[in-house]
Amino acid sequence: MGLFDRFKKSVSQNTQNETQAVVDNKAVFLPMKGKVIDLKDVGDGVFSEGMLGRGAAVEPEDGKVYAPFDGEVTMVYDTKHALGLMSKGGVELLIHIGLDTVQLEGKCFSIKVKNGQKIKKGGLMATADLEGIKKAGCKTVTPVIVTNSDDFAEIERVCEGESEVGVKLLNVK
Amino acid sequence: MKSFNYVITDEVGIHARPAGLLVKAAKALSSTVVIKSGGKSADATRLMAIMGLGVKKGTEVTVEVSGANEAADVVEIENFFKNNL
Repeated sequence: MGLFDRFKKSVSQNTQNETQAVVDNKAVFLPMKGKVIDLKDVGDGVFSEGMLGRGAAVEPEDGKVYAPFDGEVTMVYDTKHALGLMSKGGVELLIHIGLDTVQLEGKCFSIKVKNGQKIKKGGLMATADLEGIKKAGCKTVTPVIVTNSDDFAEIERVCEGESEVGVKLLNVK
Repeated sequence: MKSFNYVITDEVGIHARPAGLLVKAAKALSSTVVIKSGGKSADATRLMAIMGLGVKKGTEVTVEVSGANEAADVVEIENFFKNNL
């Protein structure tokens, strides 16, 4: 297969993905650029054991956090290190920026959205100072959890490794 | 309906880890458990709702337990608070 064929293939796949994005309103897309890993590899019991729900995690390369779907902001925590969201398809999502970052009491985080605000997939919601988080002794790995997992039969991670913002992360059915 | 008040002693308040444990504990009971704090209330089986209460160390919450088995369940959940929060 020539280079051009591969290019064509990737273009047609992209087009297909975009079409799915519109139809599949339960899908969750990657909110931060970085390396996608399994929740059980996060190395923190509360997330790894799925106590808060199923999902995935990203080791971010960049501190910008983008909306993972069309929906609404349901919760901005006072400590700014976590966002609660609800998608149009009924998926309740927690984006927890870093581990144990509740201790930073808002330092290292800037949130651009408010409770109740409507969000569009790809819109900037927050920025985190990843270097600052590391200096404070916390990990930056960011779990993305479907907190109403029990409402769905299947939650499957569909992306792995170094990934760009906006690729499909979770299939929810 | 049975209820009790409790002052949170956990350093980070009702956040991810304790909130996850609380949801698990509440789901195991047949009663409905509602947490009230600062004029807001949350179903104890809804993780996001509980975390959204923003309950911090030193905050007093009211826990209401209702259902056929409320007398026993209120004891269970009060023990859970004492041991975990």
